[in-house]
Amino acid sequence: MEEKTKLSVEAEQSDKATVLTVVGRVDGSSVGILESAVQEQINAGHNTLIFDFKDLSYISSAGLRALLIAARLTQKEGGKALFCALAEHIAEIFEISGFNEILDIRATRADALGAL
Amino acid sequence: MNKSPTQVLVVDDEEDLELLVRQKFRRRIRDGELKFLFAHNGKEALEVLEENPEVYLVLSDINMPVMDGLTMLGQLADSEQDVQAVIVSAYGDMKNIRIAMNRGAFDFLTKPIDFNDLETTIEKGLKHVQALQIALDTRDRLVAVKQELEMGREVQMSLQPKELTANENHDVKAVIIPAKEVGGDLYDFFFIDESRIGLVIADVSGKGVPAALFTTVTRALLRATVSRDYSSPSDCLTLVNDLLCESNPSCIFITLFFGVLDLRTGELNYCNAGHNPPRVVKTDSGVEVVPKTGNLVLGIQPGHSYNNKQIQLMPGDTLFLYTDGITEAEDINNEEFSESRLDEKLAGLTGTSSERVATEVVDAVQEFVGDAPQSDDITCVAARFLAPLPAPS
Repeated sequence: MEEKTKLSVEAEQSDKATVLTVVGRVDGSSVGILESAVQEQINAGHNTLIFDFKDLSYISSAGLRALLIAARLTQKEGGKALFCALAEHIAEIFEISGFNEILDIRATRADALGAL
Repeated sequence: MNKSPTQVLVVDDEEDLELLVRQKFRRRIRDGELKFLFAHNGKEALEVLEENPEVYLVLSDINMPVMDGLTMLGQLADSEQDVQAVIVSAYGDMKNIRIAMNRGAFDFLTKPIDFNDLETTIEKGLKHVQALQIALDTRDRLVAVKQELEMGREVQMSLQPKELTANENHDVKAVIIPAKEVGGDLYDFFFIDESRIGLVIADVSGKGVPAALFTTVTRALLRATVSRDYSSPSDCLTLVNDLLCESNPSCIFITLFFGVLDLRTGELNYCNAGHNPPRVVKTDSGVEVVPKTGNLVLGIQPGHSYNNKQIQLMPGDTLFLYTDGITEAEDINNEEFSESRLDEKLAGLTGTSSERVATEVVDAVQEFVGDAPQSDDITCVAARFLAPLPAPS
């Protein structure tokens, strides 16, 4: 079987925020990629982050933890983290875990940018 | 520092090598830095090594009576002993030197022995031995750490009950198949009083030692909270959550379902803190999803207030609790077992014992996974309500 790249995170800088497009699976073995992408933005002084999940296929509890940490880190720096474009099965994971109550979730990227 | 001397075995049937070594290294011998042992043929050398496991370097001649140096090398290579050998041969005897090197000799010296060469070779040999020793120590330490992790896991597993003694009113069974790494799944069940059973399943974020510790602490807090002053599942979880949040800087969290089955009525009062919704396997037919209580995972939001819901179990209904190790178990094509396969399997188990429900689901998951590696704990609890307890007269 061909070894596929499990997870990639692409950053796009706009004037109001950095959009991180998360593509693939976030689980225990790939969560480090997401964590370092977030840390890189924080280190660069970018403390308003929008996570675009339109191509996120799966997120484990280790991944949810990384999102929670991202939200807390950005808040600490005076910014915030927003999460958008969740596929139905991803939205369900957020709902079951109750993360939809504590994270700022928006329907689309445009909604997220508009909310800033 | 009082370090024991490094020991070197010298093997020669003639006395010249022994004399040379005793004379040339006398200062280092006297200073307790080096200690030389002597043998006069290969057989004797093997016996000395057997009795002195602290010898890691051997300096040996080739031509000797009883057992020659090359035969000894061969036997050393086959043994378990970590000994490095330096072979002494006649000048230009490439044939024997080749054989010795092929049998694992570390280096060679030629006669007549040049003292500087001898000293350098011994130094080099000792350095090599030390490096090997460090590698071996490191390996031993790793093995020790692994053993401690194993013991940790055994303790963790031994804390979880195997079964609740079944009677005519109930029948509870759990199955857990731990993944290789010490994991974060938790289940528990216990009597709250003579008529109510507490049923718990939980899954912590992440794996490894931090996850296992968090799980164990959660279990203890919940048990303590319940035994001290039980009022309802949500009250217990509200308190446990606050306690877990008090010191959790690394944002570990745990999803946990806590249900209390009243054996007098068959009512299940429950609170679901972010865990996969359990199922009810109906006694006649069908599988129902236990409705969510819409609550957050435990450990990250102090002050969060948890809610209860109630469902009614009919005699013969089985409550089935599970972790995502079941629904997210993958086969070799990365396909998940999924909730639909779980529900289908459960639908075929209506009216059966909790033992059958739990073991057959786990068997189905393992059959589905096949040869793919197990990445997560596989855990489930089946609790069957059989008949209402008679009201006290």
